[in-house]
Amino acid sequence: MAEISNICGVQPEGFVKIDISSDPNFVFENDLNYAAKQLFDLEGNTVFVNSYLECQHYVLGGWDYTPLKNSEILLQESLLYVVTALLVITYIKNIAARFINR
Amino acid sequence: MKTKKAGTIILLVLVVFIPWFNMDTSNDYSIPKVSQEDTSFYEVYPCKISLTEFILSNPESIYQNHFYFRPDNRSSIQCFGRISGVTVLQKGLETQFFISIGTSSLINLLLQAFIWIALFSFIPKNTNLKKNMDILKYKNLIILLTAYLLTFSIYAESRFYEKQLYLVDFQEIKSYVLIFLIFTLVVKNFVEMFVKRSENIVNYLPYMYLITGLFSGFNLSFFAIIFLYFGLQSNFIGIKNKLFSYTYIILSIWWLFNSKGSAFFNVGKLRGFTSSIFEFNANLFWIIFTYFLIKGIWRIYILNKNSFRFSLFTKNLSITSAILLILGVVSANLPIFNFINYYVLGLQRYGVESKTPFAFDEYSVKISWRGIFPSSETIGEFYGLCLLCLMFYVLNTSKVKLVHYVGIFTSSLGLYFSDNRTTMTLVFLSSLFYFFTIRKNTIKIERLKILYSLVIVLSFTFIYFIQSNISTNGYTFMSESVIAKALTFQKDYAVSSFSTLITSPDVSNVTSFMFGFISFLGYILNRSEMWGLFTARYNPTFNELLFGSGPLNFGQLYGEVPVNSPESLLLPHSSVLSYFLFIGLIPIGLLLFIFLKDLYANRANSELLLFSIYISINIFKNDSMNYFSPFVMYTILYLILRNKKDLLNIGKASPQQQIKTN
Repeated sequence: MAEISNICGVQPEGFVKIDISSDPNFVFENDLNYAAKQLFDLEGNTVFVNSYLECQHYVLGGWDYTPLKNSEILLQESLLYVVTALLVITYIKNIAARFINR
Repeated sequence: MKTKKAGTIILLVLVVFIPWFNMDTSNDYSIPKVSQEDTSFYEVYPCKISLTEFILSNPESIYQNHFYFRPDNRSSIQCFGRISGVTVLQKGLETQFFISIGTSSLINLLLQAFIWIALFSFIPKNTNLKKNMDILKYKNLIILLTAYLLTFSIYAESRFYEKQLYLVDFQEIKSYVLIFLIFTLVVKNFVEMFVKRSENIVNYLPYMYLITGLFSGFNLSFFAIIFLYFGLQSNFIGIKNKLFSYTYIILSIWWLFNSKGSAFFNVGKLRGFTSSIFEFNANLFWIIFTYFLIKGIWRIYILNKNSFRFSLFTKNLSITSAILLILGVVSANLPIFNFINYYVLGLQRYGVESKTPFAFDEYSVKISWRGIFPSSETIGEFYGLCLLCLMFYVLNTSKVKLVHYVGIFTSSLGLYFSDNRTTMTLVFLSSLFYFFTIRKNTIKIERLKILYSLVIVLSFTFIYFIQSNISTNGYTFMSESVIAKALTFQKDYAVSSFSTLITSPDVSNVTSFMFGFISFLGYILNRSEMWGLFTARYNPTFNELLFGSGPLNFGQLYGEVPVNSPESLLLPHSSVLSYFLFIGLIPIGLLLFIFLKDLYANRANSELLLFSIYISINIFKNDSMNYFSPFVMYTILYLILRNKKDLLNIGKASPQQQIKTN
């Protein structure tokens, strides 16, 4: 829920959640009071949403990535590999030094 | 060797400065000057402009005191070294610009650790690298355990870290894997660096006041790593102190059993040596941390006590004192260096903003000046300690160098700036006492008697003058000053159990007299307000009063009883009160008994005696033992002085020591 309010903003008063999955022909209506938002999925695809309901629907469906978030996750993963590599190098260096000292 | 050192210096300079050049090369921004009217550029383009670009566009930010550079630890990795936001505040007539600089906490761990390890490499290596192979036993296992313990602290204090780590999900194990690996890398490299230089560590302790070593965005001290390592190792190789261990374990069971509820504490300037929350997991971490810290200090002392060289120690004290003063002045006058010092030295608090250390307020009272250290009183204590040690050294040896004179000058100046009057008085009295006692062969008992009598007469005159300034009847007024202040702070609907206990008509005469006397001392030391505030807040159960609520945890004190907003600082302003809260009356009483017994047994050791009196009075009226550096420094220095009966031999190793070393 915190993720939805972060991306879509505050839930409008009197908002009623509709189960859209049960209606494959559902058409989202634009909310004139709602500022359009750009959403991203994991692969970087993008979509504009024009109502809180539409935004909520997409976010719950996995369109909750932002470019910044994507890049941060990627950088954290890269950091993980770099740190692992550095650790391996440090240990190998130590083992090698021990053998040389023998 | 020299080439290697030069290489390290170049690398260090690069690592310190390069991150602030991290610019967005994909766009060409026209960076406007930051102004009171318009900061929209920085709102539209957060994390696009590097700190260097900002400074080039706003060169006045280097020296104008209304610019404040602040680290933004909860920013993305990409944002590191860039401007993540600018806030304008109006304070009176002054417009203040707060410039947030992206300093991702995860990167801080690596970058700051690298800087400190590189600085640590300047400590000379051990003379015999193969000596003390014991310290390498179980090394890799202990490194992993230390890293695990540090990672556990992130989990235990996740409420604190939620505000410090960007996009780290504290519910997911994989978030901890990254943190654990970073800690392992840091611990591994630091331990490798340390074991080659362990001998000299006791001589280089003063630098801990300069390089506090707190990771930006973490409630952890870099230097704690080494004490945890040695603490864990002493357990692994079977060095046992049964009395301490069993007592501590029994107390720990009580503390853990008592850890109910949850109370958050804003760590502020105590960061790195206090828990941010009173909860089971956090309490568990700080209990383990304190146990291994104490064991680690003991082990490092045992391993390296013979390497202590008083000449080198006083030299390092002098250098530290001078650098602290210089950096304090630089930080106060150049905002950008205030930030760089905060980050590179891992400070607990930003450097002081007051430009001139000679300032007086409108009532002609000296304004205390703390430089880059978080507390003016504690840094005053450090300068006083520096003067004491230099006095021990200068009066005992003919090998006084220029650096020692520099130390005397800068420490005196620093002590004056800090305006710690108790320390000034103590240093003066200690000098008098020491001057009379060092002439061991020609010592005249009569002379000592005269000195003691003089001190007593002076004390009574002092008390008399204080009394004469008070309209009500002297001692009674002073002995009730703490409780009078407590009553002004406490709310009618929330009265603490401690306050109730000491104001109760049923309280015994002994308790009443003791609290009255402490209150009297508090009045003389200008602590009535702070101790009154502590009394209004302290709400222990009977068992908590006797055995405390857990080491280094203020959460319960600050979270249980609401008080009327105080005008003074929130901390108790007495390490004794803090430790009374942590470990309770009985362990405090036992520690005091052991300390006094030990002091009596070593009464012939005048250096230890003076040092102990100096430290005891200071920790009685100050929070210094709540900071990591003084805690470690005082403990190790006490242990060292305790074993050094003749200070003259401290400059050189005695023949027996040399044999042992070889």
